[in-house]
Amino acid sequence: MSSKTANPVMHSAAWRISLWATLAFAIGTMLVFTMLHRFVANDIQRRSDAWLSGEVEVLGDVAVRTPKDRLYGRVVREVAELASKEVPNKLRSNGNENDSVFFLQAEDDGPLKLWVGAGDGTQNLAAIRARKVVSDVPYDLKVNGFKHPFRVASVRLEDGSHIYLGLSERDELRVLRNMRERFLGIWLLIVLFGFSIVFYATRRMLNYVREITEAASRIGQSDLSSRVPTNNRNDEVGHLALTLNHMLDRIESSMHQLHTITDSLAHDLRSPLTAIRGKLEIALSGDVKVEHGEPIVSAIDELDRLTEFLNTSLDVAEAKADALRISRTEVDLDELVRVMIGLYEPCMSEKGLRVQLRSAGSVKVLADEALLHRVIANLLDNELKHLPASCTVSLQLRASEEVATLIVEDDGPGFDVEIGRQMFEQRVKGRDSKGHGLGLAFVEAVVRAHGGSVTASNRPEGGAQLSITWPLDTRENAEAPHSLTLVNR
Amino acid sequence: MQLLLVEDELEIQGFLKQSLTDAGYEVDAAKDGRTAVQFAAGKKYDVLVVDLGLPDQDGIDLILQLRRSGVSSPVLILSARRSVDDRVKGLEQGGDDYLTKPFALAELLARLRSLLRRNLAASEDATRLRVLDLELDFIRRRASRGGEVLNLSPQEFVLLEYLCRHAGRVVTRSMLLAEVWGMRIQPDTNVVDVHIYRLRGKVDTEGREPLIKTLRGIGYVLKDR
Repeated sequence: MSSKTANPVMHSAAWRISLWATLAFAIGTMLVFTMLHRFVANDIQRRSDAWLSGEVEVLGDVAVRTPKDRLYGRVVREVAELASKEVPNKLRSNGNENDSVFFLQAEDDGPLKLWVGAGDGTQNLAAIRARKVVSDVPYDLKVNGFKHPFRVASVRLEDGSHIYLGLSERDELRVLRNMRERFLGIWLLIVLFGFSIVFYATRRMLNYVREITEAASRIGQSDLSSRVPTNNRNDEVGHLALTLNHMLDRIESSMHQLHTITDSLAHDLRSPLTAIRGKLEIALSGDVKVEHGEPIVSAIDELDRLTEFLNTSLDVAEAKADALRISRTEVDLDELVRVMIGLYEPCMSEKGLRVQLRSAGSVKVLADEALLHRVIANLLDNELKHLPASCTVSLQLRASEEVATLIVEDDGPGFDVEIGRQMFEQRVKGRDSKGHGLGLAFVEAVVRAHGGSVTASNRPEGGAQLSITWPLDTRENAEAPHSLTLVNR
Repeated sequence: MQLLLVEDELEIQGFLKQSLTDAGYEVDAAKDGRTAVQFAAGKKYDVLVVDLGLPDQDGIDLILQLRRSGVSSPVLILSARRSVDDRVKGLEQGGDDYLTKPFALAELLARLRSLLRRNLAASEDATRLRVLDLELDFIRRRASRGGEVLNLSPQEFVLLEYLCRHAGRVVTRSMLLAEVWGMRIQPDTNVVDVHIYRLRGKVDTEGREPLIKTLRGIGYVLKDR
């Protein structure tokens, strides 16, 4: 149905549903991961902080107890190096140099007293001093020359100097980065996979819905006896199909009932009519004097009018209920109108009326030819009966992309204004009309049953105009050479 | 001519039998499908008149059943249904015809004759046709009377051809509409009559014997004697 758009898939409901579902899923999993990430990061930090605090305490103890002699530096350095080997979360040390841990002891403003770690420690001391705020809990420290920040814990000694123990956050960050990378990879895979599954499933489901829709619209247009496919599914869509079919059952049965009623009504009226007419005819064929025969002839005329009225009103009743029996064939409107004009033209010119047809060539529609004949005959009969002499009836037939339009207009007195909007109602007729008031109702009903429409109006320059639009047989668009033909004899 | 009438309404059956007998047919009347089959088994009929609404079976089924048992005579179907359903249209292609009730007796008789004639196969010369001093040349699509060529429009030629093929028989307005114009309509104006008047103006010129006769309330007949 949306075949006119550039990409039908992007406009399908399946696409939209899967897009939204996937988006919700992606955001949800992302949130969960963020929380997990936070929890893991905090936990790692807590562990390293605990280790740092413990070690710096031990180092402080050792520093206090060790005599400040020549061996002091060596002892403390040994202890510090030993401690750095037990670093938590440590993955590997690059080369011999241990750059994941540093230890330094310094006065508040004096030079570096003791240094264990990569480099000479001046940068680290400068960074610590630049921080100014001294706190007892471990804190993050960014040192020039190192890619990753350090986590530093300190302890104050009795001599006023401080011992600082720093642990590089490199390993911790690497663990977290690994985790993020793996998650993102898996997350992308899952989201794509989920999208395709949702898309596939909804597309299948909606394709089935589309099949139902197409079948239902086919049924609406042509026969009521076929049903939408049910595929024996027991889900919502299966129920939809079943419900549709139940509805169609009911429509078909009420349609059938209507046909039965109109048929039996027609039958019950026609049989006596036939018998009466036959007997009248037999009575007429005997030796009847002219003055006795005249009433019989007029009785037969009345009977025929009654029959015609019965036929048309039943047709109109059925058509109004959309139950008109239509057998569609391909009909060329142009040819049909020409034949009808050929039939009516002598009679019209006898009455002093002129007929002209303007048509751009063949216009093919799918319609019931017999009903079409009656529609056009009705319109032309109307013109014949109501137009005064020397008027012109002009018919125009043209086709656009989707509809054929037949306009019948005249330059006569026009429609009775009093009738107005009720023009197409049954039994509505002009004041002076001798007809049974079903003609236009029948025309409208037949056209509507074929999916077309009729409008009637009085032309501003005088005269009546009736415009019928008819859906074209779109399966094959007939050629439309734009020639102008005039049938005006 | 042997005729089998199948009609369940006894009143209709009664007057049909009477007028068909008056028209020269030997009529057997059956009131249901079973009796009709019995009649058809015992005798060969030239034409059948079958009502669609029979008490014991559908008229179409009866016709199909008779066809299967070897009855090949033409059938005139009487129907009380308004719209003629597709099955009747299917049968019509087999040379049969239908009438919707109520109908004019003249119409019934005219259609019966037409059916019987159709059934006689095309015995006429395919290229020309003569009725009295009227001659139709189908190759040149030209008609002449007493050697004098008539100036007819193509439509008038078809109309005259139909009248000539049914010369001596009544043709009704609805027969003309159906056969000449190919439509089943019942216009409540005199459209067909005007065509006949015009044709008569060309065929029955002054000083000639009038050939096209109007039968009031029934139709027309082209004299052949």
